[in-house]
Amino acid sequence: MTLLQADDVAVFDASGRALVHPVSLRLDAGAPLVVLGETGSGKSLLAQALMGTLPPELWARGRVRIAEAEHDAAQPQGFRRLWGRAVAVLPQEPWLSLDPLMRARAQVAEAHALVRGLAPVAARRAAAADLAALGLGDEAGRRYPHELSGGMAQRVAFAAARAGGARIVVADEPTKGLDAARRDEVARLLTRALETGGGLLAITHDLALAQLLGGRLIVMREGAVVESGPLAEIFAAPQADYTQKLLDADPARWPRRARRAAGPSVVEGRRLTVSRGGRALVEGLDLTLRAGEIVGVSGPSGCGKSSLGDALLGLHAPACGAVRRIEGVARTAFQKLYQDPVSAFPRRRALGATLADVARRFGRRRAEVEALLARLDLAPALLARRPEQVSGGELQRLALLRVMLAEPRFLFADEPTSRLDPITQRGVIDLIATLAEEGCSVLLVSHDAALLDRTADWRMALGGHGTAEAAGRAAPAVALGAAG
Amino acid sequence: MSGALAASGAAPPRRRAGGFAVGAALVLVTLGFGVLAPLVVAGDPFTQSLTKALGGPDAAAPFGYDHLGRSLFHRLAHALRLSPAIAAAAVATAGAAGLLLGGLAAARGGWVDRALTLVADALLALPGLLLVLIVLAIMPGTALGFWAGLSLVLWVEFFRLTRATSRAVLASPAVEASRLLGFGPLYVLRRHLWPEIAPVMLTAAAFGAATAIMAIAALGFVSVGMRAPTPELGLMMVELLPYWREAPFALLTPVIATFTLLLGLILMAGDRAR
Repeated sequence: MTLLQADDVAVFDASGRALVHPVSLRLDAGAPLVVLGETGSGKSLLAQALMGTLPPELWARGRVRIAEAEHDAAQPQGFRRLWGRAVAVLPQEPWLSLDPLMRARAQVAEAHALVRGLAPVAARRAAAADLAALGLGDEAGRRYPHELSGGMAQRVAFAAARAGGARIVVADEPTKGLDAARRDEVARLLTRALETGGGLLAITHDLALAQLLGGRLIVMREGAVVESGPLAEIFAAPQADYTQKLLDADPARWPRRARRAAGPSVVEGRRLTVSRGGRALVEGLDLTLRAGEIVGVSGPSGCGKSSLGDALLGLHAPACGAVRRIEGVARTAFQKLYQDPVSAFPRRRALGATLADVARRFGRRRAEVEALLARLDLAPALLARRPEQVSGGELQRLALLRVMLAEPRFLFADEPTSRLDPITQRGVIDLIATLAEEGCSVLLVSHDAALLDRTADWRMALGGHGTAEAAGRAAPAVALGAAG
Repeated sequence: MSGALAASGAAPPRRRAGGFAVGAALVLVTLGFGVLAPLVVAGDPFTQSLTKALGGPDAAAPFGYDHLGRSLFHRLAHALRLSPAIAAAAVATAGAAGLLLGGLAAARGGWVDRALTLVADALLALPGLLLVLIVLAIMPGTALGFWAGLSLVLWVEFFRLTRATSRAVLASPAVEASRLLGFGPLYVLRRHLWPEIAPVMLTAAAFGAATAIMAIAALGFVSVGMRAPTPELGLMMVELLPYWREAPFALLTPVIATFTLLLGLILMAGDRAR
């Protein structure tokens, strides 16, 4: 059964430029439809056009058939009565969309009462049943959003979104910023919508999530459909070059980085104990980071990955133990790459001006900066913009450029690609690997095990209880003390 | 697509031009009147001419005469120089002190921060007008007293804003990155702190000036501020109040001038605050 059918839906901006070229698609009951594409590919705009939720400056054209009724995409107000009743939207970061002052069950009951029109008692009962079906008992239902874990909040938001009886669930980047375990949980949650004959439209750049969901796939790029068909077939044998490139960008498909002989030790931690807020995160850790070596660090959030790196950089005083840095090297040779590059640049200053300051600080000439720009594949026009005006991938490369001006001997890369889409991620990681080949020692934090496996010379998993254990294809250069 | 385009599209259009321009124009007109009026029509705000008491406008006094036969035009011009001058001096002093102490509290933290915050909070617990009155009683000279008292009231706002903004900026990865690259405190101040603080400061300055002018007028109105015969907005209002039936326009002149000046300042501040 077809739940949603779209014919030639296109999106334009105020000047009449097409942001999404005409797309036709069909969403069937019981089969997910995954729209895959990188940032800026128009995949979210397409979904917004299908739901009539485009921002007012944009307009759409085409026909959308939902729940046996024809709608004109050019008239978004006609979609309004479908929201919640026929189409449910799972928000990007559900824990932010819950009402912080309302208990979990009440939020779901509210949707039952107001959208579906149930009486208060019946709505409460229905909400409890919904939550129970998602594995949230009475006790969890009485909690406030801040008392719920991220996964539980996501389930509550899911229940609230579906309470109106909508058969179509639209999920826009549901796994943004989640680690692998949480991602699997979200995939299971989304598949639940299908069990009762519902439809699922998932918009993502996450290849692993797409694979977990299965069904049909549409690959988009620059507002146009590159390829569409059954997901399993496309993943097995992509027809378009772009799809191939996108799939190759999945860390699981990367070639392993060739191992090279590590150079002399650059930074050492001896019986290092790092704590935050009085709680020991890493205890009694011995490690040696050598020139030309990439060391991968993984672990659940809050386990002390960032604190460990900061301690090695001297930004955070270790509670106990010592950090030794190579002698005769300027402190500015120890650099850091941030997870959110926007926050790592002065907010109101043009990027070019900031880079010029750094170049002057290190006595670099303009020509050297321009050569680096070319090497990192960055357009010089970007320099006139402010940090929030360039894409995340470009900004992270600019951050890398800034670090390179300081001729780093040690780089602490703190989840540098967790907010980037796969192709951009691969580009940034390749650049970091090049930096290592030039003799820089890299400590790379990531929650993507495949990425670390392909990139790092050896890996270290922080357990979150002050423990650390080493893993990897090569034996670690030093034994890791795992006290605590 | 996503975020980038959707977000920039959804952002409200910049509407700074509107309110800010109107506010600035109102302030300029009132201040301009205060400075230029005596040059256009020569006269003295203190000369009495009882035969002309509450008389209508003529060539020597375009706004007519008050109850003692003094030119309202020239009294108003004098008042519109006095209050803004005191307010500007107080805001400048308070702003400098607030910036310095707020920056110090944010950068040093620890007991310096706690002590300064305690003083600021303690001052905040006192009604502002009462504090100005106390200082007025201590200081010789009313204008000097107003300047000192208002500075003492106004610096708290600048201190709190600077401290809050600086703390957030100093803890940001951007400042950490600059420090790792070997930049010193001066660079952090110029490139990180000041661009974030400056717009907030301008808003606070406009609000502070409005508060100061209002305080001077309010204390003048209850006859505990400026002393007669000094022309001051609040004092002029209370002097002319008994004659409102005979000379409504005479009473309205200081009221309209005060209103225009305050509206202008608040429009400037409000628009920046968005």
